[in-house]
Amino acid sequence: MARNAQEWAQRPKLPPTHYVDTRLYTDPGLFEEERAKIFDRTWIIACHESELPAAYDYRTFRHPGGKNLVLVRGDDGQIRVFYNICPHRGNVIVQEPAGNARSLTCIFHAWTFDCRGNCTGIARRKEGFQDRLDPRDVGLRGVRASIGYGGFVWVNLDDEAPPLPEFIGAALDILEPHLREPLEVFHYQQVVVDANFKLWHDTNSEFYHDYMHYFNRVTGMQQPGYFERRYVPFPNGHASVGSMQVQYDRYEGSAERKVGWPGLAPGGWLLVDIFPGMTFNLRTSVIRMDTVIPLAPNKVLIELRGLGLKSDSAEDRSARVRDHNAIWGPFGRNLHEDLLGVRGQGAAMRDPGTDSRWVIHGREENMTIHDEVGMRHYYATWSRYMGRSPSDPFGERP
Amino acid sequence: MTAVRSDLEELVYRSCLLLDEQDFEGYLALCTADFRYGIRAFSPEIRRDMVWMDLDRPGLTTLFRNLPKHNSDRAPLSRHATVYTVAIDAPNEQASVVTALQVFRTALDGGATELFAVGKVHDTIALGGERPLLRARAVRLDTRRLGIGTHIPF
Repeated sequence: MARNAQEWAQRPKLPPTHYVDTRLYTDPGLFEEERAKIFDRTWIIACHESELPAAYDYRTFRHPGGKNLVLVRGDDGQIRVFYNICPHRGNVIVQEPAGNARSLTCIFHAWTFDCRGNCTGIARRKEGFQDRLDPRDVGLRGVRASIGYGGFVWVNLDDEAPPLPEFIGAALDILEPHLREPLEVFHYQQVVVDANFKLWHDTNSEFYHDYMHYFNRVTGMQQPGYFERRYVPFPNGHASVGSMQVQYDRYEGSAERKVGWPGLAPGGWLLVDIFPGMTFNLRTSVIRMDTVIPLAPNKVLIELRGLGLKSDSAEDRSARVRDHNAIWGPFGRNLHEDLLGVRGQGAAMRDPGTDSRWVIHGREENMTIHDEVGMRHYYATWSRYMGRSPSDPFGERP
Repeated sequence: MTAVRSDLEELVYRSCLLLDEQDFEGYLALCTADFRYGIRAFSPEIRRDMVWMDLDRPGLTTLFRNLPKHNSDRAPLSRHATVYTVAIDAPNEQASVVTALQVFRTALDGGATELFAVGKVHDTIALGGERPLLRARAVRLDTRRLGIGTHIPF
């Protein structure tokens, strides 16, 4: 029976941990608070080390907290991270997303900086500043960086945050045997969709939506072992999902798999969600990495990367690219469907005045594949960072 | 056959119309048995050329056959093509055609049209038969942000 307005607004008859208030996905105040309390304090993947292979290579990154960063590989091989902001007049220093430069030069007034963040040149300094400005006082703002877990470059804006290994804990142990060889990015894609960033991470945190994917239904859900895949939650909001034997031959045109992945059984599939918005996804012969960059309460930029082995032969790399594109490429079977799903959520929750009130995360299936524990675990950590209840973010519950 | 520019232009335009209409059998009828279809784009972010689709004719046929089983955005795509250059290699019975392509997407609800993608199409056309046929189509996209994407090639 359809519900009237009063019934529609009533809280679900579930524990408060098993649903969230949809204002978490629309409220501008919460959005700004998330940037400051979560994204500015946690480790975030900025790019992969293979994107800066040579000395003086640089790569920009739009940090989810709103800051413009630039990553630079130094002449000593170390990757350092700085605000991509000229201390002079606030212009961005590096304007292209990637490149190579011995000296970072702001095109505005020709101030220069080296790969360690030192200010190395101020045009006509003596004439304009006399002895009043020491170049040592106008170096770049350095940002903590750490490389690990497959060669990803992680950054943290919080100088006091615990080190990366403490943040990750054992969450990526399930992938460690498969990340020992150097990796290389072969695919990079940005998607902007009108939906809150958490909705994309939610999609990556539950497999109940496999009903949306014909590919996953026939190769996974209808096959032995699917319902035995288990979620394992880890401290700090991370969660992993165990493997199964995906039957790729059940999807027409997808039987042939020429290459696999080191240590991964044929047909294996491992997934790890990292708080607050990154997902390692290893299946067939490819690792996919998702990172979310919130742009507005109802708008998210998703960075999608595909990675193979740095040691790949041309033939193996081609096979990995084919495997990637079949399901995860811009024209792939699953990515488009996932984006259709999250776009629909964004349309239903487009502003705080929408009548979408609650999102239910209530499935309990002994921590197996259709259990929604992954999302519940995420929102428990969100609550800790924000000091708010996800089901009652504004303290309105009687 | 003796092909003239207008024959090749018509082949390119007809292929766009058939894809717009999702007449996939009709599209494949314009292609040789050894037809190969690809989409590529260069990423300034990772400074690499990316292959986003690379299918032979059986692979493309399977892709089309599987489409009804998937959830797809139903908003129609409209291809606008302008043939720029045609180079006919008569001794080898083939031609190379470069076409500028714009793809527009029209929303089902309200009918708003937005530019979806731009790029170039590099066609290799076989001239040895009774009519010109597509032997290879290489789409080179400038656009890399494709919204929620699509299941249907350009």
